[in-house]
Amino acid sequence: MIELLSEGIIISILAATIRIASPLILAALGELICERGGVVNLSIEGMMYMGAFVGFFITWKTESPITGILAGAVSGMLVSLIMAFMVVTLKLKQFVTGLAINLLSAGLVVFWYRLFGLSSGKDVISIKILQTIKIPFLSEIPYLGKIAFEQNIVTYFTYLMVLVVWYFLYRTKFGLELRCLGENPASIDMKGLRVEIRQYCAVLFGGLMAGMAGAFLSAGSSFRFVPGMTAGRGWLVIVIVIAGNWNPKLIMMAAMLFALLDAFQLHVQAIGINFPYQILLALPYVVAILAVMFSRSKSNAPAHAGIPYIRECS
Amino acid sequence: MIKLEIEKRKNVGLVWQVLSFIIALFAAMIVTGCLLYWAGLDAIEAFLAVYEGAFVGVEAIVETLVRATPLILTGLATVVAFRASVWNIGQEGQLVLGAIFGFWVSMEFSYLPYYLLIPLVIVAGFVGGGALGALCGWLKSRYDVSEIISTVMLNYVVIYLLTYLISGPWMAPGEFYLHTAPLSENSILPTLLEDTRLHGGFLISIVAAIGIHVLINKTSFGYDIKAFGYNSVACKFKGMNVPRTLVLLMMISGGLSGLAGAGELFGVQDRLSGSIAQNLGFTGILVAMCGGLSPLGTLLAAILFGGLVNGGFMMQILTGVPASMVYVMQAVVLLFFLCSGLMATFRIRIIIQKRVKQ
Repeated sequence: MIELLSEGIIISILAATIRIASPLILAALGELICERGGVVNLSIEGMMYMGAFVGFFITWKTESPITGILAGAVSGMLVSLIMAFMVVTLKLKQFVTGLAINLLSAGLVVFWYRLFGLSSGKDVISIKILQTIKIPFLSEIPYLGKIAFEQNIVTYFTYLMVLVVWYFLYRTKFGLELRCLGENPASIDMKGLRVEIRQYCAVLFGGLMAGMAGAFLSAGSSFRFVPGMTAGRGWLVIVIVIAGNWNPKLIMMAAMLFALLDAFQLHVQAIGINFPYQILLALPYVVAILAVMFSRSKSNAPAHAGIPYIRECS
Repeated sequence: MIKLEIEKRKNVGLVWQVLSFIIALFAAMIVTGCLLYWAGLDAIEAFLAVYEGAFVGVEAIVETLVRATPLILTGLATVVAFRASVWNIGQEGQLVLGAIFGFWVSMEFSYLPYYLLIPLVIVAGFVGGGALGALCGWLKSRYDVSEIISTVMLNYVVIYLLTYLISGPWMAPGEFYLHTAPLSENSILPTLLEDTRLHGGFLISIVAAIGIHVLINKTSFGYDIKAFGYNSVACKFKGMNVPRTLVLLMMISGGLSGLAGAGELFGVQDRLSGSIAQNLGFTGILVAMCGGLSPLGTLLAAILFGGLVNGGFMMQILTGVPASMVYVMQAVVLLFFLCSGLMATFRIRIIIQKRVKQ
C-alpha cells in the first residue's frame, strides 16, 4: 500500500480523477436539466452506451476523435428523441419508458457491433483518442498544473459546462422557467408558456450530454470499444444528481468523489497490489447507496419530476 | 351530424390488451425489418428462421420452454413489485445472488442425497435473491432510498462479488478459465423429458406463476400490494404496516429472481461462471410489461420471448444475421406495446345526431 503514497502516483491519481469525472459530470448535468424540467430520464445508461459505440465507430472511420465525440453526442440526442416523444407527447410512464430505451440501445449497439464484424478477428481495433492539450503557463504551476491543466478538450469543456448550466439555471429567464416546470408545470401552462417544447429541449439536451459522455469513454479515454463498457455509469449519474442535491456545483463534487474512488482502484490494479480489486470496483456503488441514505434531508428534488403533466380539461 | 368523441376507458379489457400486443409485435417486426433491410439483409428470411427455430417441431418448442423458464420467474418477480408501484429493477443481481447462494449450499452439503440436496439448493436460491430484495425494501422503508437506485447499484455489487468468487476462492484449481469446479452430481435438477434440456425448473416456474396469480388476486396480501400501487399514502393512513409490506413484497420479488438463478445454474449450466448473468433479469422486466403485469400474461409473454431468443440462434446459423437482433426486437415490442396500450385506454365514440327538421 505504501507505493500509493509516492508523489508521482498521487498526482497521477488526481489527474485521473479529473479525467474520469468528466463524463460523469457531463451526463449528470444533462440529467439535472431533464429532472429540473420534470422528466426523470432513466435511459442515461442507454444513451451513454449508444454514444460510446457511435463515438468509437465514427472515430475509427474518420480517424478524427473530435468528429467521433460530436457524432456520439448526436446519437445520444436521437435516442433521447424517442424518450421525449414517449414521455412528453404521449405522457407514458417515465420509469418504464426509460428502462425500455436502455434495453433498446443496448440491443442496437450489440447488434451493430456484431454486424460490422467488430467482435470477430483476433486483432482488436484500436482508435485514435483525443490529445491532451497543455494550457500554456497554467500547466507549469507545480502539482496543480499536471493535475488540472493537462487534459483533453472535452474535459475542459465539461468544467466550463458546469458554469454554463449554473448560469442558465439561476441567472436566466429560461432557467427560471425550467426550474418552475419541475416544481409546478401548471403555473407555466397558465402563464401561456408551452410546457411540451421546454420539456423536449430539456430531454434532448440531456441526450446530447449523455451521448457526449459516452463517446468520451471510447474516443476520449480508451482506445477501443468493448460491449458493456459503460458498466452502470449511467445509473451512477442518476445517483450523482441525487447526491448533488440537484445543484450543478454539488453535482460536480459528487461526481469527483466517485471518480476519485475509481481512479484509486485503477492505480491499485496497475501497481499490482495483492488485494481483491473487485471490492474497490464495487465501492462506488455501495457509497452511492450510502450517499442516498444520508442525503434525503433538505432534499431539493423537483416536486413534479417523474410525473407527466396533463393539462386539466374543463 | 356525426361527432367523434374520445373518452377514457375505466378498465382495459383482455381483448384490447391482447390486440395491442399483437399490433405491437407487428409494428416491431416492421421496424426491425427496416433495420435489417438498411443493413442489406433479408428481413423475411430472418423472421422465418426465427419462427422455425422457435416453434417448429418438438425439439424447438422444448428448447423455447427452456429459454422461457428463467424469464417466467424474473417476469413474475417484476409483476409482484411493479403491481405495488415498487420499481425493482434488480432482478439481474437477485438472480445472480440466488445462483451464488445455491452454489454455496450445494458445495457445503454435497454429501446429502439428491432428494434432500435439490430442494435445499432451490430454497437457497430463493433465500439469496429474497435477502437482496428484502434489503432494498428495508432501505426504502427505513431510509427512503429509492428502490430504483438501490436495486441497480446492488446489481453491480453482486456482479463484482461473482467475479471475485469465481476468480478467487471458488475458482476451479488448475484451470485457466474463470469458473468453479463442476456442480456435484446430486444437485443437478432432473430433466422432465429424456434427451432434452427441459429441467425441473420449468415446473417450478409454472407453479410460481399459478402461485403468484393466486397471491395477487385471491389473498389479502395481494390486495395490499395492489392498493399500495394505487395510492401508497392512503395505505399509510388506512393503517397498513408499510415497512412490513414493502420488505415482504420485495423479498418475494427477489426470491423469484433467485429461483430463476438457481434453476439456470442447476438445470442448464454445469458450473458457476460469468455466463449466469446474461440479461435474464432485464428481459424479465420486458416480459412482465408485455404480459400486462398479470402472472398468466407474463407466462405467455415469457414463452414468446424465450422463443425469440431461441429462434435468434437458428437465424444466426441460417442467415448470418447476428442473434442479438432479437434483443432489439424485444425492446421495440415493449416500446410499441406501451404506445398501443395507450391507444387501448381511449375509445372513440361515434355520436350521430339527427338534425331536427323544422
